[in-house]
Amino acid sequence: MTDVKAYDCDYENKWCPGCGNFGILNAMKKALADQEIPPDRVLIVSGIGQAGKTPHFLKCNYFHGLHGRAVPVATGAKLANHDLNILVNMGDGDCYGEGGNHLLAAIRRNIDITLLVHNNMVYGLTKGQASPTSAHGFVTKAQPQGVAGEALNPLALAISQGAGFVARGYNGKMEHLSRLIREGMRHKGLSLIDILQVCVSFNHVNTAGFYNERVYELDESEYPVDDWHRAMDTARIWGDRIPIGIFYKKETESYTDRLAGLKDGPLVNRQFDPARVAALISDS
Amino acid sequence: MPIDITVTIGGTAGQGIQTVGDLLAGACHRSGLYLMVVNDFESRIRGGHSFMQIRISDQPVAAPYHKVHLLVALNQETYDRHRAAMDTSGVILLDQEEAASEKSALAVPFTRLAKDAGGKIMANTVAAGACLGLLGAPESIIKEVLKERFGEKEAVFENNLNAARKGYDAVKDETVDWRIDWPDEESKGRLLSGSRALALGALAADCRLAAFYPMSPSTGIMINLAEFVGKAPLVVEQAEDEIAAVNMVVGAAFAGVRAMTATSGGGFSLMTEGLGLAAITETPIVIINAQRPGPATGLPTRTAQGDLQFVIHASQDEFPRFVIAPQSINQAFETVIRAFHLAEKYQVPVIILVDQYFNDSLFIAPEKLKVPEQIDRFLTTDADMAAPPAYKRFALSESGASPRALPCRDKALVTVTANEHGEDGHISEAVADRNNMVNKRMAKTKNMRNEMQPPDPYFGDSETLLVGWGSADGAIREAVDRLRNENFDVGGLVFSDLWPFPEATVYEALSKCKRFFTVELNSSSQLGWLIREQTGLKFAGAIVKYDGRPFLPNEVAVQAQKMMGGRDDRR
Repeated sequence: MTDVKAYDCDYENKWCPGCGNFGILNAMKKALADQEIPPDRVLIVSGIGQAGKTPHFLKCNYFHGLHGRAVPVATGAKLANHDLNILVNMGDGDCYGEGGNHLLAAIRRNIDITLLVHNNMVYGLTKGQASPTSAHGFVTKAQPQGVAGEALNPLALAISQGAGFVARGYNGKMEHLSRLIREGMRHKGLSLIDILQVCVSFNHVNTAGFYNERVYELDESEYPVDDWHRAMDTARIWGDRIPIGIFYKKETESYTDRLAGLKDGPLVNRQFDPARVAALISDS
Repeated sequence: MPIDITVTIGGTAGQGIQTVGDLLAGACHRSGLYLMVVNDFESRIRGGHSFMQIRISDQPVAAPYHKVHLLVALNQETYDRHRAAMDTSGVILLDQEEAASEKSALAVPFTRLAKDAGGKIMANTVAAGACLGLLGAPESIIKEVLKERFGEKEAVFENNLNAARKGYDAVKDETVDWRIDWPDEESKGRLLSGSRALALGALAADCRLAAFYPMSPSTGIMINLAEFVGKAPLVVEQAEDEIAAVNMVVGAAFAGVRAMTATSGGGFSLMTEGLGLAAITETPIVIINAQRPGPATGLPTRTAQGDLQFVIHASQDEFPRFVIAPQSINQAFETVIRAFHLAEKYQVPVIILVDQYFNDSLFIAPEKLKVPEQIDRFLTTDADMAAPPAYKRFALSESGASPRALPCRDKALVTVTANEHGEDGHISEAVADRNNMVNKRMAKTKNMRNEMQPPDPYFGDSETLLVGWGSADGAIREAVDRLRNENFDVGGLVFSDLWPFPEATVYEALSKCKRFFTVELNSSSQLGWLIREQTGLKFAGAIVKYDGRPFLPNEVAVQAQKMMGGRDDRR
């Protein structure tokens, strides 16, 4: 088994002490080590925000792009080389706000990437404004009267649109989260893992205490992961009890398996054949 | 007598203008005549007014003519709209039902003859037959073009042949001044739309991912390219929006394939942050911007050259990029190949500027479309490195470009960020890193400028020069020809390579002339001001047009003549 230390990197971590991101980072390293995927075989694509910085803090190949746009970058990379193991780190504002349209398209495509959404229900890097998942009434400096809208339910959204792997983890349950990430990476197709993440600086409602009291793991021996209706019902549970685990799982053909242009292997590995191209052009 | 005939076929969208035009263009093309075809249409699928204009000549033609010799009016509106543009020798061909009482109008019962031949649907074939008859085409050509179009579908072919012959025979006793002495020669080259030439260029350039969001007039490029999916290592991906398209292209290029997108100004506006992403991550990408008039939605199916200053400056802060506007159909094909080469050589974005007129018109490509023997990727692998674990994607170098490795290919880790960064691709706010990275990126400009071709002179030693760029080339050259025939000392200078601005060669080309006028499809003369900014030379006047229609050589010549005023410019 690969040692998790293989992913350690000496770049200075820039998160707040006690940030929920540390649990997520450790879960990622463990999931990679468990699968024995060495750092040079991992590509992490990320957006902007504290979550977007994640790939700087472990050894891997990475593309740290724009706010909201990690999913299309990852999609392009996967289309270019569908042998890549691609993890995507985004925040809730990043993925569900700025990048919302890309999430919908990624579900429709069923592109084989593992999407980790660090959902702390607040904008951290810009110092504490409401996010798409902030609860109604959540008070911030920008929303002093409280958030007037309702929170997005990302799991229900993804399940309703036919996403093939929808899960929720919690940064306080590192082992459980690393299992979800491992399962998500093994799943052929889009995997969405929404991760309840504590923000010690700007979210004083959804704290570690809040989650520790409420979070429970779905019982895998009892919970049927391929029951869509049950998954939708479970995705709507939020309050005194908050379920985590795999809500829904159903494998269908992933996007890169469906494309005629990829039948003969990853685009990046194909040879340029000038004679063939010349013939295509002159015959057209 | 030299041949120079313009045929306009007009009607409502969906009326089959294309059928008449394609048959006519096909006949001219296969007989060895030169021709070009302009498509003019509204932003609607049915109804409205559309027309196709075919200019036929025994000389190369690269701009539309201002007079019409043969007007095929499939409806009354066409007749009303185009009557004023008729040449004195012109003839208007009308379906009998639409017959007007004008002397030049020739009524041919397209619909009735089509019914006789087997169906009203073939009225357009009758019209095409009548056109060929008036133009004096040998009857055998009808059969050839119909066979090409309908192929093995015997009954359809026979019926259409019958219909075309009826049209042909209906006009056989008519005489016109511009009857062509039809050659029987090889075709003068492939007849291609700008969109198709660009798509074939992308294929020849080994572009492997083309991501796009549909937007007129750029969509044709992707439609043409999609034809090759499954035959070449290629994916054409319709993205959820333009932002996704450009980010996919960046992701694919980062992962190691040549990738591009195509859009128009509105989509390009959405792509500007992605353009900056390509720049700061030094990821080579190609973006084709097929211009149309703006701002915002503007005129979706019309043409313009209004985005020059925009694309040169698009996205925040500063970074090097190439901007190239091909002047001809062969050059468009070659420009895409060159764009990918330059993008990878310098690890910068390349923007190709074309426009609706260029993309939707058909031109003869006199040169063969040549596929490069090999593709230089300018990549590095572990084998090139003393210590792969120490690889730094943004290692400082004098040229500004660092060795580029691909992610997950080797032990070397490829780490990039849209934040400002150190050589290792980690976020850095250190003053030295910031200065080093800006200097590194901007250092590329020096060598990039050396790649720039000087503007293309046409009688470049003349006293007055007409200066333009991209697809205005054809109209400028023909305007120069007309003015020189009238003994004006006028030449042309046309740019394809616009950025980095080839300042020295432009200065040299322009400092010899007494004055120059710019010729552009925008309201402020964007190239004129760019020349002023970069060389200090000031344009003496600007011939501008922003009505969404392409330049006509005649209007350029008339304007230029007016601007030369009372001065004696005759040689």
